Amino acid sequence: MSEPTAPPEDEAVAHHDEHESTGVENRKLGMWVFLSSEFLFFGALITNYLLYFGREYPQGPTPAEVYDIPFTSVSSFVLLMSSLTMVLAHNALSRRDQGATRTWLLATAMLGSVFLAGQVFEFTEFIVEYDMTLSTNPAASAFYVLTGFHGTHVAIGVIMLLSLFGLSKRLGGLSERQHLNVELVGLYWHFVDIIWIVIFTVVYLLTATGGG
Amino acid sequence: MVAEEHHVAHPRPSQYVKIAILLAVLTAIEVAIYYINISLSLGWVNTAMLLVLAALKFIIVIGWYMHLRFEKITLSRFFGFGFALALSLYAIVLVSFGVLALNR
Repeated sequence: MSEPTAPPEDEAVAHHDEHESTGVENRKLGMWVFLSSEFLFFGALITNYLLYFGREYPQGPTPAEVYDIPFTSVSSFVLLMSSLTMVLAHNALSRRDQGATRTWLLATAMLGSVFLAGQVFEFTEFIVEYDMTLSTNPAASAFYVLTGFHGTHVAIGVIMLLSLFGLSKRLGGLSERQHLNVELVGLYWHFVDIIWIVIFTVVYLLTATGGG
Repeated sequence: MVAEEHHVAHPRPSQYVKIAILLAVLTAIEVAIYYINISLSLGWVNTAMLLVLAALKFIIVIGWYMHLRFEKITLSRFFGFGFALALSLYAIVLVSFGVLALNR
């Protein structure tokens, strides 16, 4: 599994030239600022759901009435474990263990795909079994938009993870410069996880009526 | 001026696994509280416990998996500012519409 590769000298130098007066690499600072702004994006969607979920609607069930908490709990567990595999990928790259890096990157992408498959199954069940579509009522719309956007973020993360995996496979390992790319994708991935931690608690557990 | 890297020892793989186990246990407790609430109707205690557990998981992932506790304070400030801004903005919206005042 272990394939240590030394990074090219010029790339290692370039990596350290990207510091600014903040003492943090520009791209890393940019990622943290981007993730910080994402709180406003997801906050708006969560707030939108909270504004609509408790009301009475003449048409169809609300998401809180049809949640499958055991199923969503398993999905949440899968996404949490993907954060573990992501951090192990980053750790393996720090040790320049290219084989382990690829394994953990692929494992993270697979766990993310399992989460996405679960979300597709959940949406299908809500639409087919309960006839709750995007336009059934405002609560359903808010739910699908929120979880759909989160799912889109997961899908983008999976694409980035598979790109890193493919790059590593093609080049025979990731260099010092690409180390930062893995770190940035890792930050994005963990952020998607913490947003799900909030969604699972606030949108599912706190609003579910237990009647699903 | 080129600042120096902020090098602090990151956790070892075995520690990351322990953190993952802790996160899984916290999630299991959350789900257990959800079911206990269905039969016992814990009211605000249910809300408080679930929010505290979610906050714990949130802090653990940011601090250890995202390595924020090992990074420069600048990053914490940027990240914290966005979070605090979103939290206060949407709390005001929810209070304005009476959602936070609902007794569930």
